[in-house]
Amino acid sequence: MNGRLDRAEIVIVGNGIAGITAALEARRLAPEKRIVVISSQLHPPIHTPALKQFACARLEREQLLVHPAGIERQQRIHVITSRVEEIQAQSQYLLLSGNRPFHYGKLLLATGSVPQGLPETLPGQHFDGVLTLHRLRDYLDLRRRLPTVQEAVVIGGGAHAVETVMTLLYWGIRTHWLLRGEYPLSRQLDAQGGALVRETLHRAGAIIHQGIEVVDIVGRIGVVVGVITNQRKMIPCQLVLVCTGSRPAIELSERCSMPLCRQHGILVDDLLRTNVPNIFAAGDVAAIRDPQTNRYAPRAQWYAAGEQGRIAGAMLADRPDLTRPLLGVSWHATHLGELSLLIAGNPHLQYPGIETLTDASQGGYRRLALFEDRLIGYLSLGHIQPDSLAIKRLIEEGHSVRPILKALLKGDVDAHHYFARLQAPPVQALPLINSQPERQRLPITGKLALTPEQLPLLAGSSPTGPSPKVPAGSSAYSHHTLWSYLEQKERP
Amino acid sequence: MRKLLRMFAPPPAGLHKTVSHIAQEINACIGCNECLLACPALSEPITIDVLNHATVHGPITESVAHFARSCYQCGACVPPCPVGLHRDAMMLWLKIRLLQE
Repeated sequence: MNGRLDRAEIVIVGNGIAGITAALEARRLAPEKRIVVISSQLHPPIHTPALKQFACARLEREQLLVHPAGIERQQRIHVITSRVEEIQAQSQYLLLSGNRPFHYGKLLLATGSVPQGLPETLPGQHFDGVLTLHRLRDYLDLRRRLPTVQEAVVIGGGAHAVETVMTLLYWGIRTHWLLRGEYPLSRQLDAQGGALVRETLHRAGAIIHQGIEVVDIVGRIGVVVGVITNQRKMIPCQLVLVCTGSRPAIELSERCSMPLCRQHGILVDDLLRTNVPNIFAAGDVAAIRDPQTNRYAPRAQWYAAGEQGRIAGAMLADRPDLTRPLLGVSWHATHLGELSLLIAGNPHLQYPGIETLTDASQGGYRRLALFEDRLIGYLSLGHIQPDSLAIKRLIEEGHSVRPILKALLKGDVDAHHYFARLQAPPVQALPLINSQPERQRLPITGKLALTPEQLPLLAGSSPTGPSPKVPAGSSAYSHHTLWSYLEQKERP
Repeated sequence: MRKLLRMFAPPPAGLHKTVSHIAQEINACIGCNECLLACPALSEPITIDVLNHATVHGPITESVAHFARSCYQCGACVPPCPVGLHRDAMMLWLKIRLLQE
């Protein structure tokens, strides 16, 4: 075996958005290092959130690609299609399928997520026509079947299920939506917001069954013909789509010779380091710290995975100085039928001192969580998507939102005008694109409600020890320590 | 007096988005293509990966350059975006890149 082929300074397992972003970032920062991506995925990285548009035939396969075809070769990133069987962390090598060893200098686990699927004990789940929608292959299968389907059942109550229901309605298929609870998105929305989504989908034509679980899937000569519910009702259908969420793909981390700390995902610190030296994790598989609540959980969203990929790339290239201090607050935006959903920060955070405001006018719903005069969480459901990244910026930079509180509540805030009023840099002072230094951050002029002295860094909260120093006064600093500050205020 | 003048002064001129925010928007793009489907100025097929790549730092192909010049900032691309991004602002930066080159 060629000695050069079985080792690399940087090895990335997984070819999703986190993996490919890390590889490209590492290449940019370390032009001489050998970078290898190992994946069992049989296609280049794709825009997975756009798969619903693909299911509606509004996109073709070529339009799903994240990067122009051939970028790996152009950037000298070697891709190996193989399965990683185990990690020998002490000797720093992987065992690929066929017992092929592969040595690494630094390793990134970006294995993504796997669908939850149906309970293993549920009868009939292997009939033809029962699909779990997760990967491109599943959507290709769905598109091939759609012309022959008149009636379908969707199981699941999350945003993925809502999007799937809308896809089926788009094709004119009679769609039954089975909800375990009273309203959808029960983890992201409160009862009022959930009811609004439910009503919107009902108006769109979905047949919604609340408080129902499937106890059996029935088929005829190997093909699904219906589902039986716990209310002893049979719903006939030619297609059952399972959208019951996903979980981090941690199976490989369980086959590591040194135990990797896990809690809902692989635990990582703010620089995406695991507890094992030279092993990092990013994307849906990594449990990262919420800077507002200090709790570790995976952030299975497209934008977060890309951001983590950029941090991981800098770490793999031995350039921790170029990482951003923190990933920022969580942020999720999508369309749910005719409704636009935005969740930024923690709009459901309940704690003494946190004020919650809601508004249900104009056929929408907004929920704001405020701490003193700062926004710490924003939920918006409505017919217009607000400037979602500007709302995220409002939360992260800790500006006072009193002057725009009414507009935020009504969902028609003009963030551009507000940031301009906060003396954001005028156009003449903006750095030109080609002359922008690496990772330059524009000056932040907003008022921080809490001073750095009031906000001690949380020591020992990360799996590998204290977090790295964050420049005092930086925007991320305030939320980094909000939770500890709230706890301190509670102490006598 | 200066305070009074400041009250009536127009807000500082600023582009819709700064370059760092444009880069952030590109990173948040989910590639659903809805902005391009809504665009009245798009005359030849362009994929979103090529357009995103060209907007901030990648090479600008002839078709992307033609599209950027054709864009007349009508804003039709903004409402269809599921994640609330501003393709019009991204196109503005692309126009600036073209001017720089």
